Formats: sequence, structure tokens, C-alpha cells
Amino acid sequence: MTQLLDIADLSLRVPGRGPLLNGVSLSVAAGESVALVGESGSGKSLTTRAALGLFPERASLEGSVRVGDIDTVTASEAQLRTIRRTRASMIFQDPRAGINPVRTLGDFLTETLVRWHELSRSDAAARAVAQLEQVGLPRAASLLDQYPHQLSGGMLQRVMIAAALLDSPDLLLCDEPTTALDVTTQAGIVDLLREQQAARGMGMLFITHDLGLAASLCERVVVLRGGLVVEEGPTETVFRAPQETYTQELLAATPRIEVRAAAGESASDPAATPAETPLIAASGLTKRYRVPGRDDVTALSGVDFSLARGGSLGIVGESGSGKSTLARILVGLEQADDGELAFDGARRPDRAMSGAERRELAATTQMVFQDPYLSLDPRIAIGRAVADVVRLHRGGSRRDAESDAASLLERVGIRPDQLAARPKALSGGQRQRVALAKALAARPKLLVLDEATSALDVSVQAQVLELIEEVRDQFGLSIVFVTHDLAVVSRICSETLVMQRGEVVEYGSTARILTDPQQDYTQRLIRSRPEPLWQQAA
Amino acid sequence: MSTSASQAAPRPSSSGSSPDAPPNATRALAVPKALRRRRFSVQATVSLVFVAVVVLAAALATLIAPYNPDHVDLQNVLSGPSWAHWLGTDALGRDLLTRLMYGARTSLIGPLIVVIGSTVLGLLLGLVAAWRGGWIDAVLSRVFDFLFSFPAMLLAILAVALFGKGLFAPVLAMTIAYIPYVARLTRGLIVAERTRPYVQAYRVLGFRGSWIALRRVLPNVVPTVGAQSTLNFGYVLADLAALSFIGLGVQAPTADWGSMINESRGALMSGALLPTFVPAAVVVLVVVAINIIGEELSDRIGGNFS
Repeated sequence: MTQLLDIADLSLRVPGRGPLLNGVSLSVAAGESVALVGESGSGKSLTTRAALGLFPERASLEGSVRVGDIDTVTASEAQLRTIRRTRASMIFQDPRAGINPVRTLGDFLTETLVRWHELSRSDAAARAVAQLEQVGLPRAASLLDQYPHQLSGGMLQRVMIAAALLDSPDLLLCDEPTTALDVTTQAGIVDLLREQQAARGMGMLFITHDLGLAASLCERVVVLRGGLVVEEGPTETVFRAPQETYTQELLAATPRIEVRAAAGESASDPAATPAETPLIAASGLTKRYRVPGRDDVTALSGVDFSLARGGSLGIVGESGSGKSTLARILVGLEQADDGELAFDGARRPDRAMSGAERRELAATTQMVFQDPYLSLDPRIAIGRAVADVVRLHRGGSRRDAESDAASLLERVGIRPDQLAARPKALSGGQRQRVALAKALAARPKLLVLDEATSALDVSVQAQVLELIEEVRDQFGLSIVFVTHDLAVVSRICSETLVMQRGEVVEYGSTARILTDPQQDYTQRLIRSRPEPLWQQAA
Repeated sequence: MSTSASQAAPRPSSSGSSPDAPPNATRALAVPKALRRRRFSVQATVSLVFVAVVVLAAALATLIAPYNPDHVDLQNVLSGPSWAHWLGTDALGRDLLTRLMYGARTSLIGPLIVVIGSTVLGLLLGLVAAWRGGWIDAVLSRVFDFLFSFPAMLLAILAVALFGKGLFAPVLAMTIAYIPYVARLTRGLIVAERTRPYVQAYRVLGFRGSWIALRRVLPNVVPTVGAQSTLNFGYVLADLAALSFIGLGVQAPTADWGSMINESRGALMSGALLPTFVPAAVVVLVVVAINIIGEELSDRIGGNFS
């Protein structure tokens, strides 16, 4: 078998930051798809970019990266251009970041054909249309005159795949091409990649942090960690019988849908909740956004639900489903235009809240945001950030607040010697722990988690979920978990609300929804989770 | 300021024994090191030393200046450099080096007051405009636009007509004229800042809006605004020198770089270059030096701000 890509003993270091890659070896043969799996900082993107000769500035390199007969470590610019133009193509994570927003898709797709392959404009356009049709885009001819912002993320990623395939590459490099997409969209893209790869006999190197995705697409897997290859082998072997501890940990941490038939849950369909006042009762919540020059966008329409004291509700949906808007209404960042929201039996006023009302609400309802890299004030040391919240809600001296903050942070797993650290010095998981401690410092009854684990690496995600379960029991919290990930819901939430385009599609106990979904959309959501190749019907 | 760049920056990864372990010591040091310990460039270091020397000379003028700045010596008019007068004398026989040192006081204190005043007021007005939004923002922004379109020099001349010659009127006028530069930048930064999740997190935690704005958001934009204000210092210095040159600023016999150039203008005809050339060169050098420092500061903060 011919090796399209043969990386041998590649080491890469950048002055001032230790070695980023440490003797990485891997190969991709024609017709083979290889998954490169690892968490952030493992060097998976660096390894893949090396195939195109894209190295960080001032990097010192050892080893070789052969693409056909060219070694990109020593190749000239002209040779690298040959590789990039004809042999290898790359698909990036965020399709919107990789395309010039002020030019049409037609310009984008035909540019290389006209300039390097010397096709006439009309021939190039015809090729582009054919390619767009091949990647499953309807009305391909009219797409050529459209601009990137007119397409959804999923469609745009298909355009990027078409662009990558236009050069008829032997080697397709995919850098997390579905991470920025919704699950149902992801399923379509994965099918498309597999189909094109098989039909063209390309070699494919697929970077992902999602082990499930790797298993659903690739025959071989390379596990990377800290610039070292930890384990390598056929996907099924690695998944069924991982040899290395790290691989085992990674597999154990990967979220799975587990239906828990815990006592009492099966019976408690929320429609039949007992007469006790629920912690939250929402009926007919509606929110519209005014868009200048266009029709109003309805983000929420007529959402009803209730949450019992100590209960946990998962709000599931894809982007644009209104799930985040609902979360923001719950914590008072937005006002519903219509409908009623009662907390502990007390109805929340329709108007904007006063400062005092806002503080009162804060003492009962708290939120953890999605991205811990953005939700902490970069300038404030974490100990002080938590102490500020303690003082705001409970008064007392600065010293008392600081000791309360220290014990709270210790509770979530932050060591006392880190209290003076700024967020910059912390890892993503640690930052999310700090965010959780800040929320807990207000002693809330309800904790709203907005995709609180989706920006984290899988192993960290598992630890943070565990922590959330612990503090829920310890502080007696009710939980609303907004997420796109059904596995997270299955683990944390006893009830689930499935949303699509601002409406509730299905609402009931998590066990019932996962095992016996009534609606098409729910079924599709569940089905679109990647399934390992060896379990797919042949 | 590049928020997008900071978002795209590689996230600190974990490589300790447990994936959620704190970043190891070398990395914890490495990141700030790259940002903080980067040395000042050669030109910025030279500029900094030069400005420090000028400031010292101004501060210590009464102690180290060789002569009285107003001591007229008609026996010794327009003499060239000598051991007695290092830079020579002007048309009235006054020692040029001495006047240069005393002139530095008025020439530097004016811009300093202008920069501090316009920065403080600009920060506050920009904050109010960005934070309150709505009609307050609309009104303030139009006022800034109006001030922008109004030449600073013209405003200064108007102020002189109103309050009389001297340092006060030009400084007041310049302060007002430079407010929009600071306020607009502040407004832009805060509008971007207030949509960031950490600000929303403060709201959800129950903090008052004014507390968030003044205690948390404003300090986060001060470094960037400060760098811009440093640049303003150079422009104001040149403007005030120009006003003194046309006789509207500091009045004779008080030494000021601008008025020194003016007083010695006539001597150019008799071939005495130094009395005009030296103060002019000092103005240019100080402005250039301060601009270099300002650029360096904003470059660093631009890359560092997240």
C-alpha cells in the first residue's frame, strides 16, 4: 500500500515553550481514514498542519513529514505549493473563519481553478457547480452568487468540503470539521466525508477530540497526548481493549447516554406532578427580537414547564432553538415579552428589574456560563472574585468573606495557594470550577448551567459533571442544564425539555424521552449521535 | 485591541498527571513571560531615557541651571557655544541652556494637565455614553463629533480671546478639544466589553450596574486608553508650543520652548541658528520620543489585553 502521508519521529519546539511535539510518527495510506484523537494542547493540529508545511514561526524541527516524495520539513516554498495545490487539502473547524466574507462563493470556489489549473471561468464555474451538487447542496448554480453569511454553518462547511475536493487531492486533512456544528448537521457531514473518501480512494486524517466520532468514521486511530503518541491501532481494538491507562481514562470519560431507571423517576412525568408549589412554573413564555428591516425573530414561543424543588431539568436543542434565551430569562438577563414566570410561587414582574430585585433574584438563581475563558474577569484574582460575591450577598468583613471564599474554592477543588491567581494562569476546568464557586457563593436554590461543560476537554468535562452532581446534593440545588448533548442530560437531569425553533417539541422524564421518544425531531437527535463503525449495520 | 485574537489563542492545556491538573510551573511562567518580560525596543528605551533626562532637567532647573533664566547680558548677545554658555546666548544675552531647562517646565506641565484632564473626563464621558446607551449615548456622541470637527487651535484662540493670554486658556481649550479622542476610544472599548460574558456574569451574581461599570469594566480599559493618552501628550505639546510661538500662550519673559523660538526668530537673519534651532529641535525630539513610547505601550497592551 502506498503511504500518502508518512510522519516519522517529528519533534517540534518553539523557543520559550518546551517541546510541542515529541517524536510523533504516523502514516496514512491511500483509501485509509485515520483518526487523530487528543485533548487540547496534545499537538494534534500541529501534526496535521505539518503535512502542509505549516509550522509555527521560529519552530525548530526534527524528523520528517513525507507527503509522497516531498519532505515538508526541508521542502522549498515551491514544493510546498505543489503539495497544497494538488496533493493535500485541509478542512478547518470553523468554516466561517476560513472564507472571505465579502466575496461570493463562486469567487471562492473558482479562484484556484482559474489561477492554477488554468481553466476558463465558465469551465471553472461548471466544475464548481458539479462539486457543490456532489457534496449534497441543492440549487448549486445559484449558490455561486451568494455570500458566506447567507448560508448556515452546516451548508458552509459543505462548501468548504467542496472547495477542498475541487483540487482532487489524494490526502484530505480534517481539523475538527464538525465541532462548530449541531449534532444533526454533524451526522450529515460525517456521512458525506465517509462517502467521498471511499468513492475517491483518498487518504483521510481526521482530527477530533470526540472519541465517538472517531469510532464512527475511521478504521485506525492514533491517540496523542502532550506531543506524544500514546496508543495507535485499529479503532475497534483500541476502543474495546485499550492498552494504555490514558486511553482507558479517555474512554471512560467519554459521555454516554445512560438511562437510569432510578426509583420514582419513571412514575413522575411532570404533567402529573404533586400539588406542592414548584420551584419554577413557566407558562406561555414568549420572546421576540426586533431585527431592523426584517420580520421579528421569535426566539421563544409559548414555552410551558415547571421544575419541582430539588429537581433537575435538561433543556436540549440545537443552535437557534431558543434554549439559551430561556436560560437567560430564568436568570433575569432578558425579559420575556409574554407569559408568566413564577419562582417559588411568586410571580416575576414583567418590567425590567430594579437593582434590589436583581440582587434578590441573584440570591436564589445563579448561572454558570458556557465558556470559562470569557466568563471570568481577567483582571481579578479568583479568591477576590469569589469573596466579592460573598460580601455582596452576606455582608461581613473582607477577611470573613475571604475565608468563606477560600473554603468554597477548596470545596470545588481549587487549592488555597491558587487564590491569588488570575484566571489566565488556570486551565479551562479550573476556571469552570471557579465559575461554579462564584455562583455557589450567592447560596442559590436554583443553578442554571448554560452549556457549562461543552467548552471543556472530555476528561475535564467528566470531572466537572461529577462536581456538579456533588454540589447539587450537598447544597440541595435544583438544576436547569442547557445543553446540546443528550449524554450530559442523561447523566444529570431527571426531566428533559426538547426544543426546536423556539418551541417545546417534547417534555417529560429523561428516561422516557431517551427510550421512547415520541416526536420525529427527538428521534433524529438521538439517532444523530455517532455510532462506532463496527456497530453500524453493514 | 483584538478580542478575536485572544479568543483564537490556543487555550492553556493541561499536561499534568491528571488532565485537570494545574498547568505545570514552566507553562505558568512561560505565558506571562512572553507578554511581560519582552524587552522594550531599543528606540523605546532611548526615548524613555531622553524624556527622563528632560523631565529631570526641568524638575531640577533651580538647582542645576548655570544662570538666572531672565538674566539679560547685553554684552554677550547671540554668542555661539562656549565653556561659559554651552549652547550660547539669545538676542538678549540670556543663557540658552538655562532657558531651555526652565522652558521645559511650562512646556511639559501644560500638556501634562491637558492629558490628565482629558483622560479623566474622557473616560467618564465615554463610560456614561457606552453604559447608559440610548439617547444619552446619542447626544454625547454627537457632541464628540462636533468637537472633533472643530480645530483644537481655533478653540484655543477662542479661549484666549475669552480669558486672556497665558497658560490657562490654551490648557482649558486643549483639555476640552482632546476629550473626544479619549471618550470615543473609551466608548468603543466599553461597548465591546459590556457584551462579554464576564460582565453578564457580574449582573447575574447581583452586582449593581454602577459598581460593575466603575470598579470592574472601567479598569479593564484604562491601560488601552492610557496608551492613547500618551500619544496625545506629544500632539498637545506641539500645539501648546505653537500657541506660545504665535504669542497666545506663555508670555514673555517666562521661558517656554514655543516662545523661545518666536523671540529668536529675528536672529535667524543675522545667522544665529542655535537660539531658534535648539528649542525647535527639543520640541520635535520630545514629541517623537513620546510618540514612540506611546506606540510601544499600545502595541503591548493590544497584544496583552484579554
